[in-house]
Amino acid sequence: MPFTDIAVALQISFTYFTIFYLTGLGGLFSERSGIVNIGLEGLMIIGTVTGAFGARFFTDTMDLGLPWGPILGLLFGALCGTIYAGVHAVATITFRVDHIVSGVVINLVAIGLARFLSSAFFNGQSTQSDPGGPHLSRLDIPLLSSLPGGLSRAFESLSPMVIVAALMVFPVWYVLNRLRWGLRLRSCGENPEATRSLGVSVPLYRYQGVLLSGAFAGLSGAFLASEVIGNWREGQTLGLGFISLAALILSNWNPIRLMFFAWLFGFAQAIPLRLNDAPVISALPPQFIRMIPFIVTIVAIAGFVGRVRPPAAAGKAYEGGGGT
Amino acid sequence: MATEGLAPPVSVVRSRSAWLEGLAGQLLALLVSLGIALLAGSLLIVAYGESPITVYSSILKYSVESADGIGYVLAIATPLIFSALAVAVCFKGGMFNIGVEGQYLVAMVTAAWAEAELGFLPGPILVVVVLIAAMLGGMIWAAIPGVLKVKTGAHEVVTTIMLNGIAISLLAWAINFPLKFSNAPPGQNVDLRTDQFPEGGLIGDIGHYFGVTPSAHLSWLFLLAVGAAIVVWFLIRRTRLGYEARAVGSSPGSAKAGGVSIGSIQLRLFLISGALAGLVGMQQILADRGYLPQNYVAFLGFTGIAVAFLGQNNPIGIIFAAILWGILSRGEVALQIESEVPREFIIILQGILIMSVVITYQIAKRRLAARQLQRAGAAGELEDSAGSDEDSGPQGPEITGREAFEGAGEGGV
Repeated sequence: MPFTDIAVALQISFTYFTIFYLTGLGGLFSERSGIVNIGLEGLMIIGTVTGAFGARFFTDTMDLGLPWGPILGLLFGALCGTIYAGVHAVATITFRVDHIVSGVVINLVAIGLARFLSSAFFNGQSTQSDPGGPHLSRLDIPLLSSLPGGLSRAFESLSPMVIVAALMVFPVWYVLNRLRWGLRLRSCGENPEATRSLGVSVPLYRYQGVLLSGAFAGLSGAFLASEVIGNWREGQTLGLGFISLAALILSNWNPIRLMFFAWLFGFAQAIPLRLNDAPVISALPPQFIRMIPFIVTIVAIAGFVGRVRPPAAAGKAYEGGGGT
Repeated sequence: MATEGLAPPVSVVRSRSAWLEGLAGQLLALLVSLGIALLAGSLLIVAYGESPITVYSSILKYSVESADGIGYVLAIATPLIFSALAVAVCFKGGMFNIGVEGQYLVAMVTAAWAEAELGFLPGPILVVVVLIAAMLGGMIWAAIPGVLKVKTGAHEVVTTIMLNGIAISLLAWAINFPLKFSNAPPGQNVDLRTDQFPEGGLIGDIGHYFGVTPSAHLSWLFLLAVGAAIVVWFLIRRTRLGYEARAVGSSPGSAKAGGVSIGSIQLRLFLISGALAGLVGMQQILADRGYLPQNYVAFLGFTGIAVAFLGQNNPIGIIFAAILWGILSRGEVALQIESEVPREFIIILQGILIMSVVITYQIAKRRLAARQLQRAGAAGELEDSAGSDEDSGPQGPEITGREAFEGAGEGGV
């Protein structure tokens, strides 16, 4: 098997990494603040449709051109994700609806909302937009893209967003571990009563956590639609939000480990696309490869391998009532 | 956690007035949310420059004013009843089965497999065998989170989400390999799919008895769904398993102290839930299409969760909730024909409805609990009714704690 195939698979895995890592970071902010967010998939869906629209709108209609059009498109997707996450925040924090219930509703409604927005944005087309939307110019990573033996392919013509996502680990780690805001956010997820006793408003921090999750998941969706595919299509997120959730769980809600699992699951996605004639893999149907992230997560959550520990108060109503 | 916001606090022993009060509260909450949804919908309709009354009445015209319309509505409701029942059974035991989606996908595969392998059986027997195969498929897929929860404590929400992902790939694999069609009708634009099922393996139409068009595909499955709802009601309300399940759901600690084996109850509930989930896809493949298509994504499992909330996890309520959902869904056709409002409006309407239902039920539940607590406090020693004690006992301190905490919380930072 030539190196180029591995290199191309790696390149694909970086793209998936970006999707999983951004969405996973979204989930991380929400769950670290104590609000379980299984609505990541729905938030991504909103990001895809609004991101694809935004990229076109700012690039062509507003005539901003590259790179500002696509950048604003991505930010528009993030903004719409944030607004939509507001529904989850209001339901779970203000009205104390069960987090899973609200998350399910978020996912369910997103499908319809996306169609509705799509038919408003794209001249009545409710399930896709025209292909070939504007995107940021691809870039080669210096040094790595001049590796010998075909390996350079892995680091060529990547979306700049891949690098943005990878670098995101530094500010996120710093904010969560060094800044007062991040420490307070985390303590809301671990022990809200104690946090409150220090005069910190738990709902305020939780709102910020959930809204941030919408921003990240929306950005991720916008990246998928406008940077990766080039248009919005119904169902293009299918399951990616849940894989991000799986990566988040396996990472133990840690932004550094999340990088590894986001990349690993990204690579698992790339295998059936590029490495389907490699030894062992050719014997397996591609559908089985796609199951890997989910199986790994089940094995981990069942405690057969390692141990995952969610934020202590995540999923509980603010006052810690109820219980399964 | 999972039962929060879903069921009213199910106390095993309950006084009649509390029960009535709960029912009235639920109905009121439902009406309020329906009002909110219709009002919000009206704003959207006006934004499109049409009259809300015309649009809403055209939805009713296409759904309940003709036999055909009713037939379509009931056919839409059929899978949703199974799906919502599957969700409700687990809720009763305090668990959240969001894996109905995956369970019915797997069940469609096992059913299609039975059709392919056992097609030689005579008609009615084949149908029964296929339905059993579907239920077994759903049960196997539901047994995994059930066993994992009981044996390892793995949270069912996470495991079922992951199993949904696996099921999608499993279905794709089945259609690509072992069950791939071999006898596709000539001249048809063929996607990946299974072979056409034998004629005897399909479920008969009942619509023609009532003058409903055959294209509605109203089948015996609807009656089976109603029957399943009654069985589930009986199971929850009148059997030992149901009693223990409700005990586990409302207070696992006391149930355990009372000698209930929590693990075995939870596992059995998951199996029942899986069997019901197995029947969700049958309307589509046995009554409508006659084969299993590729990329079958209809979100019937997730929609079932919405219908279960709407019906407040009450099996009979679920039947009506599914019909209400069906009426709205049928409205898509009405909009396409009679209005400029895009058909996706309906999904928005359903979304607003379900979000407001979830929130108003939550508010109603808290109000009700507070009121019962107050009454229990006022009645004090005068009333030694087991009912009100049971109702308020476990919640009492929690509620007061909550309110105090919430009040103080708003002042923070």
